Amino acid sequence: MEETLKKILKTYHENSGNIITILQDIEKNFGHIPEEAVNWFAKKLDIPASRFYGVATFYSQFHLKPRGKNIITVCRGTACHVKGSERLINRLCLELDIPEGEETTSDLKFTVEKVNCIGACGIAPVTLINNTVHGRMTIDKLIKEIKKIKSE
Amino acid sequence: MEKKVKLQIDGKEVIAPEGMNLLDAGHLVDVFIPNLCYLKGMRGFGACRLCLVEVEGLKSPVIACNTKVREGMVVHTQTEKVRNIRRFILDLILSIHPLDCMTCTKAGICKLQEYAYEYELKNTSFIKKKMGYPIDQINPFIRRDPEYCILCGRCVRVCKEQGTNVLDFIGRGINAEIGTAYNKSLRESGCTFCGSCVDACPVNALPEADRWRKGREWEYTKIPSVCLFCGNGCDILISVKDGGIQKINTGEKPGSTKKYICAYGRFGYDYIEDRTRITTPLKRENDTLKETTWKEALSIIAAKLKEAGNETGFISTAGITNEDALALKRFAKNVVKTKNFDTTLSLYSDIHSMKDSQSALITNSDLIILIGLNPSQWSRVLPALDASIRKRVNRGGKLLVITSADIKIEEAATLTLKGDEITILKAIVKSLIDKGLKADIQLENAVKDAVVTEDIEKAAKLVEEAQNPVIFTSPSLFDSSANLTIIKGKVIAVGFESNSRGVALIGLTTEGKSYSDMVNKGMKVLYVIGEVPLNARPSHTDFLIVQTSHFTELAEQADIVLPSTTQYETEGTIIDYLGRLKKLNRAIDPIGTSKTHRDIFVAISKIMKSPLKKPSENEINKLIKVKPKLSFNPFIRRDGFEIAPREFIESINASVLRGRRLAWLKEAVAAIAV
Repeated sequence: MEETLKKILKTYHENSGNIITILQDIEKNFGHIPEEAVNWFAKKLDIPASRFYGVATFYSQFHLKPRGKNIITVCRGTACHVKGSERLINRLCLELDIPEGEETTSDLKFTVEKVNCIGACGIAPVTLINNTVHGRMTIDKLIKEIKKIKSE
Repeated sequence: MEKKVKLQIDGKEVIAPEGMNLLDAGHLVDVFIPNLCYLKGMRGFGACRLCLVEVEGLKSPVIACNTKVREGMVVHTQTEKVRNIRRFILDLILSIHPLDCMTCTKAGICKLQEYAYEYELKNTSFIKKKMGYPIDQINPFIRRDPEYCILCGRCVRVCKEQGTNVLDFIGRGINAEIGTAYNKSLRESGCTFCGSCVDACPVNALPEADRWRKGREWEYTKIPSVCLFCGNGCDILISVKDGGIQKINTGEKPGSTKKYICAYGRFGYDYIEDRTRITTPLKRENDTLKETTWKEALSIIAAKLKEAGNETGFISTAGITNEDALALKRFAKNVVKTKNFDTTLSLYSDIHSMKDSQSALITNSDLIILIGLNPSQWSRVLPALDASIRKRVNRGGKLLVITSADIKIEEAATLTLKGDEITILKAIVKSLIDKGLKADIQLENAVKDAVVTEDIEKAAKLVEEAQNPVIFTSPSLFDSSANLTIIKGKVIAVGFESNSRGVALIGLTTEGKSYSDMVNKGMKVLYVIGEVPLNARPSHTDFLIVQTSHFTELAEQADIVLPSTTQYETEGTIIDYLGRLKKLNRAIDPIGTSKTHRDIFVAISKIMKSPLKKPSENEINKLIKVKPKLSFNPFIRRDGFEIAPREFIESINASVLRGRRLAWLKEAVAAIAV
């Protein structure tokens, strides 16, 4: 881990970056923001850990917990809401056995996330499965997709 | 002279210095603009939006905390429009704030309560939301209850400004809260428990942990005093109810963060009723200490002192008041007729550097030079100096650190020079002379051979550009540091005890045998005043008298123990490290039969038939009015003052640190360090 962190530190110095670029690099390398990485940088750069944490929790692009291999994003915008996106999420969590308040399965295979609006309200409800847009999603279609990923 | 501008606030004419904000300008003419997030002395933050005011000629209201005064401005702070906006904001805040003022500990000094009253809000007109955040109360100092938090950010800003950086805004929007990194408890977050956030919080989100049911704010008698635990001698404000101390705050109005006190000063007071407190005189009988009367104890002491005469030795802490110090000196010299008196000051400083230190204010200086000192809020060595310097730096001051060790405050420094302090100082002086600044001929000769490097050049430039540089130095480097003041600035040697400068000016300093001599070789009769860093009875000591407030290891080996008062039970004056005369006031009655040091000396002197008068205010004032004389001195480091500051401060406060809460702190710090 330390090696990767050193690399990030080097680019930070070279490009005179800021906290956000460091956090983005950490996120890119580890898939989330590990606590040790933040503490390591806090020490190296004399920037308080609380500051890193504050920035990391402010932006939804940063994740504090490890995320799953497959990421399913369900749109929670108004149009999708009307078209029943909440039901999709509930069923997904049931199907994948994700406990309440969590987003990721215990085997780190799936992460279910909500997003405020994808901007494709015409094909609501919208779901992104590993960055592929699926419009007019239904529960049956969703379960089929998950089964497909699971069998791969 | 700074430029002044004329403006009008609520019909009153105001003449305010340029650059001042409207909120402060209003204060000048007693117009108080409501606010929840403003901290006097810091830049306006604009979080609460309560200070909105109308300015004629502007379309929409502006926030007073972040709007600067301008010539001819006409400001209205109480128009219907801004009052309605304020009422709306308060209405919103109340929708996420518990409405339990009847039992709330902050009632009476809560700003939200005050404004809700003024704007006639009994309840919120919105749906109430409860966030359900957990309360952090696993430490005995600060209770952090985010449910009450109104997100004004005051705690975040004080914590940041003094360099502790524990708190920050976490999350965003409705989910925003104040928290620590990774939502850890304060105990695990690196918090020093100074409680600055407690003073800053306008509501009940950060009260003292034990504050609940310890009396309402308006029942307290507030007594300003001074903390004597370390060399900073900070102002404190003691809240007293029913004859007991209920809490201690900084000696500053709530909502101001000008002053700082550490965990010792704020929370250490519970040691006064610790079970180790001595309440009656004790005398040794068959190897055990037994209770006795004052009369008997004093007459035994009087007889012993008379017998020993000039073979008596007095050793004292330098954390005693001027009055006690003068009484002790006179008692030793005129009554017992011995020159053997000394204080712990002689362990870390000579007299000259204490006497000739100048007076300065950190808040007025634009460059602070720290030489050979390691102040730290974390190890609680001169924590207020550390906090004040960091605050100054965050408000635009510069910091030059000259040190031979690795120290934490470097992280706040504009420039750090590592190496032998004297070599560096010489080089800086040389560089300054090369730049054409005036010095005297002796100084010029002394630095002839110094080598000026690039870093030295940078440091010299800082000094050259500064208007009011202030040098804080360890006493052993005082002469070398003071040479810089021949060119520019002021110099202050910082002692480790609250009245280091006072005892030096009063003259309670080495005349006969020194402190170390008396401790190493012993005296026929040794009289110990206060808590000193000495745990074993010195050999060749026939009779040991210990006059202190709490049982110490040394007291257990004494022949007579006299109970003295603590800093909260006595009055008097001290001179703090910045050279200011500060007054202690008696907050509570002495516990048990304990007496002040000076009362004890007066009582013994009466028995010895050479009665001593209590020192008067005039006498003290005359003695401490000395103009420091500074002239060229050779660049040398004085030897013999190599004590470990942290261990020293902990040993002179051993009984304070045994108090319930500070003992917890010590354990917690040790547990996290592992």
